[in-house]
Amino acid sequence: MASLKSKDRKFGWGLISIYLAYTAVFWGYPFVWMVVLAFSKWNYFSPLKFVGLANFVRIFQDSTFIRVMLNTVNFLAYLVPMVLFASLAFAIVLAKLRYFRTFIMLSFLVANVSSGVAYSIMFSNIFAVNGPLNKLIYKLFGFTIPWFSDPQLAVFSICLIVTWKFIGYYGLILYAGLQAIPSNLYEAARLDGANRRTIFWKITLPLLNPSLITVVVLSTMLTFGIFTEPYMITGGGPMQRTTTFLIYMYDTAFKRINPSYATTVAVVTAMMSYGLVMLIRRLFEKEVSFV
Amino acid sequence: MLVLGLIWIYPYIWLLVSSFKPAREIFTTLWPSHFTVEHYQFIFVMSEKLERPFVRALMNSVFISSVVTFSVIVTSAFIGYAIARIDFKAGRYVFNFIIYQMLFPGFMFLIPLFILVRTFGLLNTYGAIIFPSLMSSWGIFMFSQSFKTVPQAYIDAAKMDGAGRIWTVLRIMLPLSRSTASIVGLFTFIGTWDNFLWPLMVMKDYYKMPLSVLLASFNHEYASYVGPVLAGSVLQTIPMVVIFLVLRKYFLQGIAMSLK
Repeated sequence: MASLKSKDRKFGWGLISIYLAYTAVFWGYPFVWMVVLAFSKWNYFSPLKFVGLANFVRIFQDSTFIRVMLNTVNFLAYLVPMVLFASLAFAIVLAKLRYFRTFIMLSFLVANVSSGVAYSIMFSNIFAVNGPLNKLIYKLFGFTIPWFSDPQLAVFSICLIVTWKFIGYYGLILYAGLQAIPSNLYEAARLDGANRRTIFWKITLPLLNPSLITVVVLSTMLTFGIFTEPYMITGGGPMQRTTTFLIYMYDTAFKRINPSYATTVAVVTAMMSYGLVMLIRRLFEKEVSFV
Repeated sequence: MLVLGLIWIYPYIWLLVSSFKPAREIFTTLWPSHFTVEHYQFIFVMSEKLERPFVRALMNSVFISSVVTFSVIVTSAFIGYAIARIDFKAGRYVFNFIIYQMLFPGFMFLIPLFILVRTFGLLNTYGAIIFPSLMSSWGIFMFSQSFKTVPQAYIDAAKMDGAGRIWTVLRIMLPLSRSTASIVGLFTFIGTWDNFLWPLMVMKDYYKMPLSVLLASFNHEYASYVGPVLAGSVLQTIPMVVIFLVLRKYFLQGIAMSLK
């Protein structure tokens, strides 16, 4: 048996070393480059020049970067509440539904598998100045809405279509959370004479905390990674209001030929996203047990 | 609620119907006077002359996504097996490392990875898109979790019958974890098909572009050709929707599993 074990180990080592070699090339090497680039100045061709913390000093004096940070706050302010409330409503209704549950689940989820490029094109046409949505609004109310050309509205519209895409997915996470709450808790509360509102606020919401936090965390990370929608629809405008971190990184690396500064942008973005997620968990996460 | 479900898929319906409308009617009518395939004709035949080969791009997307999906399933299964079923220290270290790796968002690595691909002289080749995604930490994680639940008796029985280790993974472990394989395959395929930023960075050759990038550049350059742009979007969307509908059962399981 001992020889069998050692053969097993050999087989394991063989597989692990393939993995390690691959990871060293496609993860380790870029990781080292990332650190090196963040502390140097380079334009793809010149020799690499070490500049210490200059990139990090520059980033917080960079008015465009600060604009992008504010934009992200703007996106977060719309997207997270919108997604949270809409998917919570979706999950609650879905749990009460008797018929067509599968059909409705599927029609919301099929939005989630839409291709970023294709659905951006689709919505930029539907929301266009002379598009079907504006036609309808004009017929009903007599005015049109500049969905993508007004700075605030453009942010809002992009959040709207991202919400369209993600409600099915996040709603299902919350739905799974709802199903996990034991029904005898509700019965006990009803016996004690609690009305529906009390039950919702005192039982459902607190026990749903882990799923709610998951949705908030996922949508926060999603916001930091928005690229395709503004790239396709607004190109970062109007007035740079829909320029996200990734658009700024892309432009810095390839239009302004400054890969080292672009890497710094990526690193700082990742740190901010990580910090915000940690903060959310620290503030709102609660231990939940059903016993 | 049923109505809401219909409203939710209405954009898709609009897109599909509009791609068959005559160009003049796209924005003017809800239901066209007649249906036409002129936009698809444009995409399949005419676009070649504009050096925007949609058919090729579609094939490129199929090729890239299939290779990546196949490779991710196979490598994840084998490495997941090594981690979950072989009792040695290295496996546990690798498992912890994989969890740690998943903390880093992918976009941090985009530019260093671009430099790597450029150093290898891989820019504007299929390799630039395929090589960096041949293995997936997430896939390995999913497989190792699922392999942990396979009873040891199955593996022992296979060994008793004289099956080699590679054979055991392929013929015993993989079929037993069919749902994990489907989940990993589904998400990998959709993710690769839909990937946009990375191919946009490394691929400037119109003849090797995946459909997502070609469609985006066509939309930028020929925005007035609304019909063909919409038809292209339909083309880009359909494979994802079909695969999703076929594997929908596993999609739901996948969401439930990724929460644990």
